[in-house]
Amino acid sequence: MAKVSVQERIQSENERVAAQNRAAFAKAGALVLNLVSSPGSGKTTLLEATLDRLPAAGLRSLVIEGDVSTERDLDRVKARGGDGVQINTGGGCHLSAQMVADVLGRLDLASADVVFIENVGNLICPSTYDLGEDAKVVLLAVTEGDDKPMKYPAVFHESSLAVLNKIDLLPHLAYDIAKAEREVAVLNPRCEILRLSALKGDGMDRWISWITARLAAKRGA
Amino acid sequence: MHELSICQSMLRVVDGAMKAHEGSKLLRIFADVGRGSTVEPQLLREAFDVLVTGGPYEGAELVINDIPLAGRCRSCGRAFEYREIALGCPACGSASVDIESGLELSVRELEIDD
Repeated sequence: MAKVSVQERIQSENERVAAQNRAAFAKAGALVLNLVSSPGSGKTTLLEATLDRLPAAGLRSLVIEGDVSTERDLDRVKARGGDGVQINTGGGCHLSAQMVADVLGRLDLASADVVFIENVGNLICPSTYDLGEDAKVVLLAVTEGDDKPMKYPAVFHESSLAVLNKIDLLPHLAYDIAKAEREVAVLNPRCEILRLSALKGDGMDRWISWITARLAAKRGA
Repeated sequence: MHELSICQSMLRVVDGAMKAHEGSKLLRIFADVGRGSTVEPQLLREAFDVLVTGGPYEGAELVINDIPLAGRCRSCGRAFEYREIALGCPACGSASVDIESGLELSVRELEIDD
């Protein structure tokens, strides 16, 4: 019987591929945002509203859609004049760096200022996987519980921005938005918070400004 | 249930480490799993049982070293154990806390019969 010392992180292979993805995105000068949320919080609707507004901000974009099955979200992106690729995980609850690496060849990265990666709807699994993005953006719809940040702390710990979506519904809900924001702030003081309604347009200007500022920071402008 | 893909990644790490010891039998895997790593030990064990069945590591045991989530407040310097990632300091309320352990997810050591 012998002991073999290993001392290797289980995620080391994913981290290696994520670093390659990050280098490819950096070479193209594109800002990459990994959108994470539970199912139904409005990631695709936010993308649709964003695609409507990016051209006016002088920004070109690509979308990598992650879903267990169907190309429905990519169809919605294309209906708004967007372009991108669909990844079907076939049951997997998150995207991995390798899944993103596998589709990079099908994207003209040099033509994009911003790449959105819409992760599989799940608040737990995606938080463990670096895809090579510049920032994770977590969406939280106000139709969900206002104690969700504390219930799913890891994703808030990893995110640079929390988008509180569907605020147009607040008059109809017993949702304490200040409580949700306090929980995000306690979990991650560095996580910015944005209230918006992708459907009605409230807060969309600040979201576009946030993207523009992140892109400028990445390009050292 | 990302423990299945985490377990696949773990077994790839094991494959790499076993290459130099071809022909020997894997007896035990010692893995460090921090409580802030988002991996549920019981689900990792179940995934392990499924994935090693019928393969070269069948019969091997997964030993999980469950590492508490611990941090230190940057403001008052006190050390605490936490139930969740990056909560504020329970003593002075400061939100600025360094996590000192509990985020681990790694294969530490293998035990083989050669």
